[in-house]
Amino acid sequence: MAIEIPTLPEQMPNDASRYVGKAVNRVEDPALVSGTVEFIDNFSLPGMLHCAILRSPHPHARILSVKVDAALAAEGVAAVLTGEDVGRWCNPCFTAPEGWGNYCLAVGKVRFVGEPVVAVAASSRYLAEDALELVDIEYELLPPVADAGQAMASGAPLVFEERGTNVMLDRTYTWGELERVFAEADRVVSRRFRWNRVGANPTETFGCVCRWDLADNSLVCHGAYQTPRFMAIGRAASLNLPVNRVRIVTHPQGGGFGGKGGPRGTDIAALLSRKSGGRPVKYIEDRMEYLLAGGGQSWDRHYDAALAVKADGTVTGFRVRLVDDQGAGAEGYGTISAAKPLAAFTGNYRIEAAGYELTLVATNRAPTYPYRGYGPPPHNLVLESLMDCTAREMGIDPAELRRRNYIRPEQFPYTVPSGNEYDSGDYHAVLDRVLQMADYDALRAFQAEARAAGRLVGIGVVNTVEPGVFDWNAYATVGVPGVGVPEGVKVAVDLFGGVTVAVGFSLQGQGQFTVASQVAADYFGIDIAQVRVATTPSDVAVPHFGQGGSRLGVAVTGAILGACEKLRAMFCTVAAHVMQAPEGGVELRNGCLRRIDAPEHSMSLAEIAGLMLSRSDLLPPGIEPCPEATYVWTAPNRNAPDDQGRCRSYLTAANATHVAVIEIDRDTGRSAILDYFIVDDCGTRLNPANVEGQLQGGVAQGVGAALYEEYVYDADCQPLVSTFVDYLMPTIHEVPMTKKDHIVTPSPVSPLGAKGCGEGAIHTTPATILCAINDALAPLGKELLETPASPHRVWKLLHEDGAAA
Amino acid sequence: MKPAPFDYHAPATIDEAVALLARLDGEGRDAKILAGGQSLMPMLALRVARPEILVDLRRLGTLDYIRDEAGTLAIGAMTSKQAAADSALVRRAQPLFQAATELVGHRQIRNRGSVGGSFAHADPASEYPAVALVLDTGFEAAGPDGSRTIAAADFFITYMTTALEPTEILTAVRFAPFPAGRRWAIEEFARRNGDLALAGVTVTFDVDAGLCRNVRIAAFGVQATALRLTAAEALLEGRPAQAAQFDAASKEAAAALDDPMSCIHASSAYRRHLVGVLTARALGQAAARPH
Repeated sequence: MAIEIPTLPEQMPNDASRYVGKAVNRVEDPALVSGTVEFIDNFSLPGMLHCAILRSPHPHARILSVKVDAALAAEGVAAVLTGEDVGRWCNPCFTAPEGWGNYCLAVGKVRFVGEPVVAVAASSRYLAEDALELVDIEYELLPPVADAGQAMASGAPLVFEERGTNVMLDRTYTWGELERVFAEADRVVSRRFRWNRVGANPTETFGCVCRWDLADNSLVCHGAYQTPRFMAIGRAASLNLPVNRVRIVTHPQGGGFGGKGGPRGTDIAALLSRKSGGRPVKYIEDRMEYLLAGGGQSWDRHYDAALAVKADGTVTGFRVRLVDDQGAGAEGYGTISAAKPLAAFTGNYRIEAAGYELTLVATNRAPTYPYRGYGPPPHNLVLESLMDCTAREMGIDPAELRRRNYIRPEQFPYTVPSGNEYDSGDYHAVLDRVLQMADYDALRAFQAEARAAGRLVGIGVVNTVEPGVFDWNAYATVGVPGVGVPEGVKVAVDLFGGVTVAVGFSLQGQGQFTVASQVAADYFGIDIAQVRVATTPSDVAVPHFGQGGSRLGVAVTGAILGACEKLRAMFCTVAAHVMQAPEGGVELRNGCLRRIDAPEHSMSLAEIAGLMLSRSDLLPPGIEPCPEATYVWTAPNRNAPDDQGRCRSYLTAANATHVAVIEIDRDTGRSAILDYFIVDDCGTRLNPANVEGQLQGGVAQGVGAALYEEYVYDADCQPLVSTFVDYLMPTIHEVPMTKKDHIVTPSPVSPLGAKGCGEGAIHTTPATILCAINDALAPLGKELLETPASPHRVWKLLHEDGAAA
Repeated sequence: MKPAPFDYHAPATIDEAVALLARLDGEGRDAKILAGGQSLMPMLALRVARPEILVDLRRLGTLDYIRDEAGTLAIGAMTSKQAAADSALVRRAQPLFQAATELVGHRQIRNRGSVGGSFAHADPASEYPAVALVLDTGFEAAGPDGSRTIAAADFFITYMTTALEPTEILTAVRFAPFPAGRRWAIEEFARRNGDLALAGVTVTFDVDAGLCRNVRIAAFGVQATALRLTAAEALLEGRPAQAAQFDAASKEAAAALDDPMSCIHASSAYRRHLVGVLTARALGQAAARPH
């Protein structure tokens, strides 16, 4: 049976939406604000032990000996886990590209500071940490590979000796006639950029409680898991268990953002449970562990990029060379994030040819993990900065240069050179709206006045496309097979007319339970309070993925609508039978199943469900007594990539244009954000308050990446950042409350026309701030091409030749 | 991130606390006093500090006061910083100390952090030691031989080290009257609101017939402990309270610094530069302040 998923809210079986499209209060919030949510650290099991992990103080060293006798004899200690156990029982974590993974505990050698070496399970975390002090490890120090340049140097030490190289992947993509457009260009604008390592820092770090049932040889892991099914498959692979013997129970999470490196902590806790006779073991990663090695490090990038430009400002080519420092292995899938820019390589522009030289290297820094946006934010900073450089060189207003190069509204659906298809958009309208809201002409007048007074004031106008609803095909060329990312739900109607939506994911902060409730309530014409969204453990849930890649709002909407469509067909059949209407003579409308020829004859949802469950004698043949349906949604019309990685990958293409006004203090180098404006278009806004929340949160992380955050390593590859005293997350004082507006260009292909918007402003904000800073610096003839634009960094630039003295 | 084992005492009176410290010292045991815990608790959790014994002063109840003692402002050591920041008496009697208090951390930290704890902790980036140097704050310490008062100039020894003996407890800080019309300012540069300063400067001076008198300038966040910038003070003393003089003093303030600290957020050269910028700003702000 082909299921038609409504692509507009108006296509749902009601006269008017009561919830979809409205800023409905989040159903998640009462429990959050009253403190009754069961975050993993609040969760305990009887007999539970607590895990503490001894971590490597060295970036690169051979482990000569490990002595744990004293720790094992210490008060309260039930088990000690070493690399020897792990080497016997486990496999290294699987990676893409393959074979660049570490074991959950170091086996033979350590490859980064913070790598787990020994773990203890004891009756309290205090005693477990005390026992770690009794462990004696002898290391032989090896020369570290401290950065990407060292990694690629001939004769460099090897992070993974068996690979014979530190280069994990080296490939070139060419899309269109790249050489020709650069040869025919009137101007080539090229720059080198350095995006320093930043990453996700959720309020809650990773945590889990694992129990290995020795009789059943099965494993149950409760935890703060972002992608439960994926986690189950990974645990089965690394722990040598059948997948159907691994159950992941995902708890509500205090934020995710991609960075919770759950696999290591889970495997360690699981093995400690196995070693301690099956007692449950809790591991709660502390902030220092998280910052050093927990999965919060991403995007350590060196760019060399160029635009080919015609005399009239038309950009014809975009060439990028990226050297991406992945750290010690590919366990966190930082590799994949370097491939994501293929989904929107050329941004909002009609650039006809592009090229991408991608080199991923291993170093002795911590492995990199996904971070909100998953790769494009640095790429966007490069493209948008080059657009600004071009505008400056040519004396064209940066907004005007962009406008000239936009994909035009009538060109959608538009296939970008790197292969993805943008579903819809109106970039000119977005730009017009934001320039009007910001009063751009007045801003430029203010800037001229300020400059005349010697002030360093700059304006950034930056637009980006946010690829939404990720698909595995985007990553096939870096070693991830597959097309399609299933997201499944089960929708059940009970005999009182309540609706339960069973999903495979849990709360993470974005409000997907609310969106799910809105969609189900509107579809069945019931009050939102009659909908319950419940999380199912991974082993019994229908195929699902969870949060990631700006997809879940759209995907879960599609899944619910699919299940609802199946229920509608079934309920109409049952109702027609019991009301003795002709086949097809009953419709669902506003929550009632009514005869089309006599609408006054109708049945409620409760009546249908009750009848199905309790009157089998009245059911038509072939109908089961089950008013429930599952549906597993995946994005329509996806295809496998060609040899240049080209495919229809991300389903939707939201877009936004930001305008930032920044002033640099000449004396201190500090950049102050004077004003900030956003206009975005993510199609149908299922819950406008949710969208605004995602946008504002993305701004915060963008401000962090642009101005504050940086994982600093010294020349010996020692991390210099291990607490929040040094890793500077912006706070409410540093993040401007942005002025926002939007336009709506529904997606013609997605459920209800909604586009993925979960990553939001992190795509745009770093580039906007850096462009504004460079606009401010322009009168001095200086450019800052490195992030973050810390006061010290800007001050050095200002004072390197006495320019601002 | 859990503390190493320690013994815990919570004496009910100062005398009991002093006797306990004397006994522990006599036994050669390493005891640490716990006040608001805003610095000590994280250090314990990181096992950076691992005293054998914690002596918690939070049950004393007698060191939480702000009062006017015949023109001298006295603040009990266990008074919360937020209470000091909110006090009308502090604002009136010691406006610089009040302003400095508002720069400490965030409200949540000031609610728990004690006035005495910060002085005794003597973090080089803390505002308090520098302010104490320019205000001639007196530190009252109770020990086995009774009480003594330590002058600010003698109190701060070096990095997180004060003149307090292991057997002594800081019980109060006292501020000499702040003359009417005295100019003051505190300026600091921190990466974020509420962060420890990368550098900071505080100034006080009088203006008599257009000339600067009793100039005091102190810096924090730049060396192991807060320090008076005496060369800059001398340069300004008796000179007109004008921008050109302030600039000269600021340049001297930066130039005369011995080897400022360096960290990932600020090199030594940048810190030196910041001290100059902040001195100029503080002097200008102090001169412009209505009084």
